[in-house]
Amino acid sequence: MKKILAVLLCMGLTAGMLSGCGKSGQQDSKTDAATITIWHDKEDEVAQVLQEELEKLEPEVHVVLEKKSDLTEALKVVGNDPNAAPDMYFFAHDKIGVYAEMGILAPITDIIPEEELNRYMDMTLEAATYKGEIYQLPIYYETLLFLYNRLYMSEEDVPKTTEELYAYMQEKTKGGHYGFVEQHSTPYYAAGWIHGFGGYLINEDGEPGLNSPETIQALEYHKKFVDLMPGETEYATVNTLFNEGKAHATIAGPWLIPTVKASGMDVGVASMPVIDETGAPVSPYTGVQGIQVLKYAAENKSEAVEKILRQLMEPDIGVKLAQASGCAPANEACYEMEAVTGDEVVMAMKETAENAVPMPNIPEMDVMWTVAGNLLTDVNMSGKDVTESANEAQKEAEQLIESMK
Amino acid sequence: MDNKKKKWTEVVFSYLWSAPSLILILLIVIFPILYTGYISLTNMNVYHWNNYRIIGLENYKNALLVLDNGFLTALLLTVLWTIVNMVLQLVIAFLLASVLNLKGLRLRNIYRTLLIFPWAMPGYVSILLWKTGMFNSQFGLLNQWMAKLGLEPVRWLGGDVSAFLSCTVVNLWLALPFMITIIDGALQSVDKSYYESALLDGAGWIKRNFYITIPLIKPIIAPSVIITTFTTFKQFDVIYLLTQQVGAKTGANIHTILTYAYEKAFITNNYGYSSAISIIIFIILIAFSAVTNMKPKEER
Repeated sequence: MKKILAVLLCMGLTAGMLSGCGKSGQQDSKTDAATITIWHDKEDEVAQVLQEELEKLEPEVHVVLEKKSDLTEALKVVGNDPNAAPDMYFFAHDKIGVYAEMGILAPITDIIPEEELNRYMDMTLEAATYKGEIYQLPIYYETLLFLYNRLYMSEEDVPKTTEELYAYMQEKTKGGHYGFVEQHSTPYYAAGWIHGFGGYLINEDGEPGLNSPETIQALEYHKKFVDLMPGETEYATVNTLFNEGKAHATIAGPWLIPTVKASGMDVGVASMPVIDETGAPVSPYTGVQGIQVLKYAAENKSEAVEKILRQLMEPDIGVKLAQASGCAPANEACYEMEAVTGDEVVMAMKETAENAVPMPNIPEMDVMWTVAGNLLTDVNMSGKDVTESANEAQKEAEQLIESMK
Repeated sequence: MDNKKKKWTEVVFSYLWSAPSLILILLIVIFPILYTGYISLTNMNVYHWNNYRIIGLENYKNALLVLDNGFLTALLLTVLWTIVNMVLQLVIAFLLASVLNLKGLRLRNIYRTLLIFPWAMPGYVSILLWKTGMFNSQFGLLNQWMAKLGLEPVRWLGGDVSAFLSCTVVNLWLALPFMITIIDGALQSVDKSYYESALLDGAGWIKRNFYITIPLIKPIIAPSVIITTFTTFKQFDVIYLLTQQVGAKTGANIHTILTYAYEKAFITNNYGYSSAISIIIFIILIAFSAVTNMKPKEER
């Protein structure tokens, strides 16, 4: 008797363990055509505005916003499984190439006619386009800004050119204070300088440009600025130096502004300095945040998806996001409204965006972050020869891109 | 005949009893390895996500071409890293555990709790705390001390040697609690009467440790030592987070085989190719374990 009981228990345990692997446990809501799940990784202010806007569609369409911190990796794994994947996701434009190649995204133009997308800024549409198809409905964009602490740097002091900036750094960098700090060895930040010289990390055809004469010139020129910055310049160090008033100016994203304001800083926003040698301003990358539709949802829930997209195309959401979190709306119509034009930060981003370069959205960019980061570290921190390191990095990048295929 | 039948049922039942755990092991250990092996024979990558096909040993060919000098250097460094860490870990853990077991030590349990504390924190958090709290050249504690002494700030994670040592310190901080607990437990299992007779014979502290303690605790701590050797060998977080995190590279060029493989393969999103590299590393690990396991057999 005891033995039989033990066998039964044993089998029960095994069965219980395996039952978790089945697919029977999925909620029914996934298959319901009026329920749309949207993944995002945004801060609460942004998510709340989205939630409020999309609640207007109730009860016809029910939207579930789910915050996923590992969104990009999770999508790679489940993107193809309609039971586990979301219907749409809200993220920066730079991953659309990867997902489009994987075949999990549907072009936005399958649902919204292309003419209707005219209302968006050209730069944002360019960012949303991969191989001729528009895969993202842009909502807002971010770009780096020149921020300064008004306590140390008056409006007249704000450097118009990079040589003025260098002179300011030479004068003010002493006694634990820095005239200017930036994340000089992080590709996202260094790209602005490289673009200002006409170089690029990778072009549209997926060819890296790390050893182009322009890129090398940019790296050589930028070195003298690096010498006047602290040895460690990763995110936390740079932002803390600026936040604590030890650095007078920095280049950072709009996301830093609420933090420094909260610590009581009178922070100023200025346009990027112009590089003397080329006459072009430091031109950073922009990231366009918007919504992407997964193939399954586009095919099976097109009605609900269309309603959501149309709701998000209203200018209101851009205005609300600008007010809530200082986001620069992608919709041109927003810039006719007082609430947006009166916002110093948003307008500064719009100005910078005129020269800014959309982050490449091709899959090849994934390896460039690491390779370019290594190159910058070699040049800026280990003091290696620029041309030699650039040639090596170029070779490495080509090899890695080759092994992606 | 009857005896044979009994034996047979015993075999069946013994498998039945262990079936749940065997299936679990099959699912979470064996299956992923086999699946990785399968993926490594395909061209699964961003461009062939759903329509991948078997391409034979192509990925292995490419992988072996990439595993060049850089990989050999990384492999040597990994071995050095493992040896340095294991030796330091065992020595320090043994000394601390011996101190914990001293007769008449007061507040023993408080020390135990304090020593286990690093284990209670997520590794990721500890590592980043060390990075900004201790090693940072602007705000780190070490450099604040240096400044107090009138010395120039040092970029601890900048040079190869200092970065290696810094990583070792952090790894010890993370790994010691486990070792101390294991050795502490092992020490308590040693019969006190051995020491009493050794004391009567006039054996000193060193002799007592070498002839009684170490031989007696060796079989108890052996499995933990083997496990820790592996986790040290395939250490990724400490070295990656301290010196190579994207956007926070420090300029130190220390690669273990895993951080090397990460930079050379995993960032390409080419799953077939990355799997081939994983399988090669897996084979190296198996070979390594075969070598380390040879010793106990000789002793038997």
